[in-house]
Amino acid sequence: MADAGLIAIGAGIAVGLTGLASGFAEKEIGSAAIGAMAENEKLFGKGLILTVIPETIVIFGMVVAILLWLNM
Amino acid sequence: MLLPKRMTRVLIVGSRGALKDTIEVLYQLESAHLIDFSADEDGFGLGAPLPASSDASQKLLKLRSLKKDLDLESMEIKDQVDVARIEADIADTIIELGAEITGAMESKNNIHARLNELEAKKTTLQNFQSIPLDLEYYHNYDSLKVFTGKIRGDPNIALKAAVPQYELFLSSDGGFVAVFVPKAQAEEAQKILVQFGFTEVPAPAGKGTPTDLIGRVDEELITLRGGLEEATKKSSDLREKHATFVMAADEHLSIIVEKAETPLRVGTTDYSFAMDAWVPTEDMTKVEKTISEKLSGKVHIESLETMARKEAHGHVHEDVHEEEIPTKLENGRTAKKFEFLTRLLSMPKYREIDPTAAMMITLPIFFGLMVGDMGYGIPFILLGALGLKKTKSNEWRIISTLLFFGGIWATLFGFFMFGEAYGMHFAEQHGEISWSSLLGMQLPQQFSIFGYDIPIGIYSKLHNVREMLYMSIWIGIAHLFIGFCIGFYNKTIRYGLKHAIMEKLSWLFILVGGAMLLLVLVDLMIRGVTVEMTDWRLLAAIPLMLVGVLMAYKGEGSGAILELPGLMGNIISYTRLAAIGMSKAGLALAFNTIAFEVIFAHDPLVSGSNSGDMIMLIAALAIFVIGHLTIFILAVLSAGLHSLRLHYVEFFMKFYEGGGVEFKPLKVIRKYTVDKIGTGE
Repeated sequence: MADAGLIAIGAGIAVGLTGLASGFAEKEIGSAAIGAMAENEKLFGKGLILTVIPETIVIFGMVVAILLWLNM
Repeated sequence: MLLPKRMTRVLIVGSRGALKDTIEVLYQLESAHLIDFSADEDGFGLGAPLPASSDASQKLLKLRSLKKDLDLESMEIKDQVDVARIEADIADTIIELGAEITGAMESKNNIHARLNELEAKKTTLQNFQSIPLDLEYYHNYDSLKVFTGKIRGDPNIALKAAVPQYELFLSSDGGFVAVFVPKAQAEEAQKILVQFGFTEVPAPAGKGTPTDLIGRVDEELITLRGGLEEATKKSSDLREKHATFVMAADEHLSIIVEKAETPLRVGTTDYSFAMDAWVPTEDMTKVEKTISEKLSGKVHIESLETMARKEAHGHVHEDVHEEEIPTKLENGRTAKKFEFLTRLLSMPKYREIDPTAAMMITLPIFFGLMVGDMGYGIPFILLGALGLKKTKSNEWRIISTLLFFGGIWATLFGFFMFGEAYGMHFAEQHGEISWSSLLGMQLPQQFSIFGYDIPIGIYSKLHNVREMLYMSIWIGIAHLFIGFCIGFYNKTIRYGLKHAIMEKLSWLFILVGGAMLLLVLVDLMIRGVTVEMTDWRLLAAIPLMLVGVLMAYKGEGSGAILELPGLMGNIISYTRLAAIGMSKAGLALAFNTIAFEVIFAHDPLVSGSNSGDMIMLIAALAIFVIGHLTIFILAVLSAGLHSLRLHYVEFFMKFYEGGGVEFKPLKVIRKYTVDKIGTGE
C-alpha cells in the first residue's frame, strides 16, 4: 500500500514526540523529587507519583501509533 | 480486616510515686500509644525524667564513643546477652574497654604520624640524591649562603653575568639545584634564581650521603609498618572480642533511657500525673485489668471515647484540627508483606480503608500480565522464594514477595494465555520461530482435562495487539470501578451516604457510561461497524454520564468537570499493561531471531532445521542467555514499577487519602539482649 510509509512515519512521530515530551516533563519533576527526598525520605511515595504523572503523555502517543498501525 | 483497628482514648491518672511503675506496666502491655502532653493545660507541667536516666545517659555517651572507635556499625552480631550480665559488668567493662581502646587508638595514631613524617623526609632526600655532596656540606658556613631547591631551566649563564663567584650543582634531570655563593652576593643570586622559578627546599640535617640516609629511613619505615599492622590487628581483636557486649549494652541502656524519659511526655503536678493515650479497643479489658491488678488502687484508668469512623465535625471541606487518631493496620500474614508498599506511599488514616488487601490481589496480577511468559515466570517464582527465605531487610522482602506472587501469575498467563516461554510460542504460529519448529517436534496447542479442551496460548503478544489493548482497557475500567467503590465506602463511613453519592457514585456513573461509549467507539473506529443512534449502549451511556457529571458538579464543584479528561487518561494509562508485554515480546523475538535464525541457521518453516554446527550452537546459546537475562532484569524494573504506578497513581487516587499517624505503642524491641528475669531496669 502506498500510504504504508506515511502511516509508519506518522506512528513514529506520535511515539517519538510524546516520548520526548514525557521525558522533558519528568526530568524536572524527577530532579525536584530527588531533592525533596534528600531532605525527607518519607516523600518517596509522593515523589514517585508526581514523577510518573507525565508518563501518560507517551501512553497516549503509543495508543495513537497502535491505532495507526492497525489501519495500515 | 480492611479498616484499621478501632481505637479508644484513655486517661490514666495516679499519684506521682506510681509513675515509674505505671510506665513499666505500659511497656509490658505494649498497647498504649502515648499522646504527647501539651504544656498549655492549667496546673500541669511536664514531668521530669526518672533518676535512672542521667546515669544511663552518661554510660551510653561513653559507650557510643567506644562503639564509634571500634567501628561496629558494619558488624553482624548473632548472639544475645542477658540483661543481668550487662547490669553486672557494664561499669567495669566501660572503664576497662575505654583504657584498652584509647591505648590502641593512640599507638595507632602515633605510628601514623611518624609514618607521614618519615615519608615526607624521604621525598626531600630523594631530591638531593643526584647531587654528589654529603649532607653536612650544606650547613654551618660563616661566609657562604646555600640555596637548595627546585628549579626550571639552567641558571648558569645568568648567574655568571650577575655574580662573580659561585658554585652550582644541577641534578641530572635539571629539576633540582644547589648553589653556593658568598653572603655579600646572596641577594643578587636569589633574584636570578627566582627568575628561573626557584622554590626552596631546605636541606635536611644529618651526615653522610643522601642515599645512606634514605636507606636508614627505609629501615625505620619497615619497622613502623610492622607496628601498624600489629596495632590494627590488636584493635580488630578488641572489636571481635567486645562487639557483642557493646552492642547489647548500647541497646539495653537505650531502652533504660527511653523508659526513664517517658515522663517528659506526661503531664504532672507536685503529687500526681495524668497521661493521655490511645489503646486498641480490643485490648481495653486486658489493659484495665492489668493496671488495676499490678498498681492496685494507686492508678486509675478511664476510657474516654471509642472513636467512630465518622468525622466528628461533619463537613467535608473544613480543615479540622483534632488529635490525630493513630492507625494500627490489621492484615493477615501474606497481606502484611505488602504493607510496606502502602507505607511507602503514606500511612492510611484511621477513618479509611487500608488498601493493602486490594493491592495484594491486583499488583501481582498486573505484574504477571506484563511479563506473561513462562520462561521468566518460573525463575521469578524461584528467585522470590529464595529471597523470602534468605533476606531480612524490608525492601528485599517486598521485592521477593512481588517476584514470587508475580511469578506465579506470569507463569499462568504465560502458559494459558500466551502459550510461550522466552518469547517463543510452544506451538507453531504465524510462521515464526517457536519451540515446536526449533526442537523439531509438534508441541500441542491444547490439552484436555475432564473432557474440556484447555488451550495453551490464545493470544500472541505481537499479533493480537488489538485484543491486548482492548483487554487492558477493560482491566483498567474494572480496576477503577473497584477504586471508586472503595472511595464510596470511605466517604459513607466518614461523611455519610449523601456525600458518598454525590462524590463517588457520580464518578461510578461516569465510568460505566464511558465504558459503554467505549464499546460504541470500538465498533465505529476499529471494527468498522455502523452504529444506530438508537443503539442501547448509546441510550444508556449518555444519560448515565450526564447525570454523573451533574452530581459530581454539585458535590465537588467545577473542579469535577476539569477531572473528566483525567479519568479518560487514567483508563488509557492501563494500556501499558499491553504495551510493556509487547515491548518485551519484541525484544525477545529480536534476540531469538539473532541467536537461532541468523547464527544457528534455523528456518522456522522447516521443522528442526539448523546448521548442525556445534560452535554455532554454542554462540547461539550465548546470545540467547545474555539477551534473555537482559529482558529478565528489565522485566523486574519495568513490570514492577509500572504495576506499582498503576496502583499508586490511577487506583489509589480514586479513594485514598493517607497521611495517618502510625500506632506506636510504648514497647521494647530487643535485638541483642534477652531479659530473662523480667523487667531489667
